[in-house]
Amino acid sequence: MRSRNGNRPFLLKSIGIISTFAFGADNYYIGYRLTAHNSQVFNETLSISKAMQPCSSQPLSSITFDRLQNESLKKVLLREETRFLQFSASQEISIKSNETITPSTMNSQQTLTLPTKCYEVEFNDRSVTITLMK
Amino acid sequence: MRISASFALLLAIPALHAGVFSSDEPSSPSSQNVKCVYSGTDGNCVEPVLKTGKELVITVIGQGVAPSITASPAQAYALAKRAAMADGYRQIAERVKGVQVEGQDTIKNMMLQQSSTRTSVEALVRGANLLNTSFKEGLCEVEMEIALSYSKVSE
Repeated sequence: MRSRNGNRPFLLKSIGIISTFAFGADNYYIGYRLTAHNSQVFNETLSISKAMQPCSSQPLSSITFDRLQNESLKKVLLREETRFLQFSASQEISIKSNETITPSTMNSQQTLTLPTKCYEVEFNDRSVTITLMK
Repeated sequence: MRISASFALLLAIPALHAGVFSSDEPSSPSSQNVKCVYSGTDGNCVEPVLKTGKELVITVIGQGVAPSITASPAQAYALAKRAAMADGYRQIAERVKGVQVEGQDTIKNMMLQQSSTRTSVEALVRGANLLNTSFKEGLCEVEMEIALSYSKVSE
């Protein structure tokens, strides 16, 4: 027989899962990295992963995108990448820059990294609301 | 013995006074009247750039070029804008945090053989905003700003 204290985490997790299903919101971890070489985009990576546990943090700010016929989050974000980047980067972004100058050449490389953070994603029929969690 | 101990005590009292009531104490950022801060290198008093109750707004213009091969003009615009944003963030980091500069010269037989300068910056930027975007002949320019204040730093 379980003690009362032992049942508490199970109850809290159950409430979290039930509320997630009830409100139709999922938690995702989203990260982004862009490398620009000599002022031209060289490589960019957008990583999306569904959270295995609900994020226990407060909502910070949100953005809504249009959704076309049951599009997945990845498809929506790839379509609206610039807007999403602008929204997330206004909160926090990491920049690393290196420039090498010689008498004949100049090379520059910038790496822009959006730290992987938890987002609450609410899917509706024609829109997706993405909320950044603190 | 007693005389020397009391003499030392007499000498210590003014020294303690000077230490306790010194007006050169470094002021904390939260205090209302910040008059002087101490730089980490030489310990000299310098006037703070940020002042309480005032915002310091830094504006930069980042530039990015569209790649020569793209699937569509829209993709060229999007990629140029992202490169311009990266340049804008670099400029903000350079203005706020500073740049690390390394120079290397190689001299052989009293003649300069090779010369290179390397600059680098690494920073986490919070609360920068994009104001304007313009795209002309493959060059994208973005105007970005960041407002610095005590309240935002302490968040």
